[in-house]
Amino acid sequence: MSAQLTAIQLLDRIMKNVGVPWQSQRADGFGDGIHSGSPDTSVTGIATTFIPTIDVLKRAIASGKNTIICRETPFYSRGERAPLFFRNGPEPPKELMDKDPVIRAKRELIEANRLVIIKLFDNWDARKTDGQLHGLAKALGWDRYHLKPKNGADIYRPGNEYFSLPKTTLGQLAKDTRRKLQAKGIRVIGDPQSSVAKAALTHGFLLVNDLRRVMKVPGVDVVVAGEPVEWEASEYFEDLLTAKMAKGLILLGNEVSEEPGSGEVAVWLRTFLSDIPVEWIPAGEPAWTV
Amino acid sequence: MDGMNKHIWTRREVARLGGAGIVAATSGFGQRKRITARQVVERIRENIGVPWHYRTADTFKWGDPDAPITGITCTFMSTYSLLQRSAAAGNSFVISHEPTFWSADDVATDLRDDALFEQKMNFIDQHRMVVFRFHDHWHARRPDGIFTGFTRKMEWEKYATKDPMKFEIPEITLDALVKTMQAKLRVRSARVVGDPGLRVTSVRHGGHYIAQTMAAAQDADVVVAGEVREWESMEYFRDAVALGQKKGLIVLPHEGAEEAGMEECARWLRGFVSEVPVQFIASGDPFWIG
Repeated sequence: MSAQLTAIQLLDRIMKNVGVPWQSQRADGFGDGIHSGSPDTSVTGIATTFIPTIDVLKRAIASGKNTIICRETPFYSRGERAPLFFRNGPEPPKELMDKDPVIRAKRELIEANRLVIIKLFDNWDARKTDGQLHGLAKALGWDRYHLKPKNGADIYRPGNEYFSLPKTTLGQLAKDTRRKLQAKGIRVIGDPQSSVAKAALTHGFLLVNDLRRVMKVPGVDVVVAGEPVEWEASEYFEDLLTAKMAKGLILLGNEVSEEPGSGEVAVWLRTFLSDIPVEWIPAGEPAWTV
Repeated sequence: MDGMNKHIWTRREVARLGGAGIVAATSGFGQRKRITARQVVERIRENIGVPWHYRTADTFKWGDPDAPITGITCTFMSTYSLLQRSAAAGNSFVISHEPTFWSADDVATDLRDDALFEQKMNFIDQHRMVVFRFHDHWHARRPDGIFTGFTRKMEWEKYATKDPMKFEIPEITLDALVKTMQAKLRVRSARVVGDPGLRVTSVRHGGHYIAQTMAAAQDADVVVAGEVREWESMEYFRDAVALGQKKGLIVLPHEGAEEAGMEECARWLRGFVSEVPVQFIASGDPFWIG
């Protein structure tokens, strides 16, 4: 009986099916697992999403789902006490959070509706197939251009994230990308007229070492990514342009780059949770541009 | 690092050339009085008005600090393109607010065998340039040098409040405010959270991190930030708006929010450096919206 499955039992099923040794802790910050809510809560339905915004929570509640499986957590922080190199902020002090009207209202919404929020990030990414990368490639319609390693299987993983696109311009590729992903505005570095064909696709937070890694592959002229640190990866890319070592960087934003992967999480959950409704509720882009 | 060893040798070589008068002679500005980068930084330390920190990012990043300089460029970021433009303008000393080698401490990344690193470093050496980062102390100055430049560029001196980070402005919509900021700060890639028609009469700087933007949100209609992490501040404001709060967040590119502060720095330096020209050169908004 589906009504008997509790949040902790759901997590147990996820751990059994994930296919890699489960890591529940990080050196700093929130690990995967139940982030908010009681482990004994009966799961009425599951919503997968990039981030449980107020709007996502309300949509989940309206459709009778009390369990959210997400990549980023509800209170605007990865929970780190000492983030590296000032790339992001530490979790705000408890006193500030306890009196903040947005946090208080969101906590009340979660508690009043007995929601359970489960973080699934590191263990999902550790799977043999990178579901985030695969989901994004499919959303872009790029799966048919995926470059397979010689004699290798068509596996989506870091190290195997290259695509041979029909030759186009950076400007056109940015437009196509925006349309395919229904994004309101994406940021681009590079000359819109330059011709591009071989792409590296990454998702989420773009660290400079990841950018350097994909640019080591011969012939990569355009990188599509999520969110850079502007004094790290985007400066590095500006410098690559000046050195004529690359042509374009298309920055989708973190949500736009990761959200299709939340759809993949839903598809995967349905393979072992046949009697519980599972819905992907995209959070949508947080910002607009002028 | 291999590169470092090579660099030290080159630096010595440049110093030897400088000592022989060759560097000064090749600068093409014979009448200039002799001054070194180190002497300029000593004057900065005398004039900054706050104690100089022992642990700081404000150090020489590349080049020989004891060679005579031909001119000074103040900029937001010492990108490769900026270095080229500074050399073309005849300024061998670059004072940059942000890193040169793509991380907060300029050495966080292992750059052995990095072709771009080689090229950028060689450019600095070959043009007998020297790069100094001026970040921590320019922010520590009272008032903060970066925000002084922002206020001047926006012509908001008349809207100042007791809180040096906050302005009370004539009523304007969020959409119109963003457009004004883009024009005045030479920005094309601002991203915004909130209702475009929101009526705004108070604006506050929000730093970069969630604890800062959350605190700023309690105190103004609109928070302005130069680069935030998307899963932190953008999501906080999205939820605030979803809860019905009349708030907005304007996320400028890091460069656009802080560049005017380095124009201010050039103005300030001219007050106590007269031996060589001091020029502000914009590194520029790296992004366009696709």
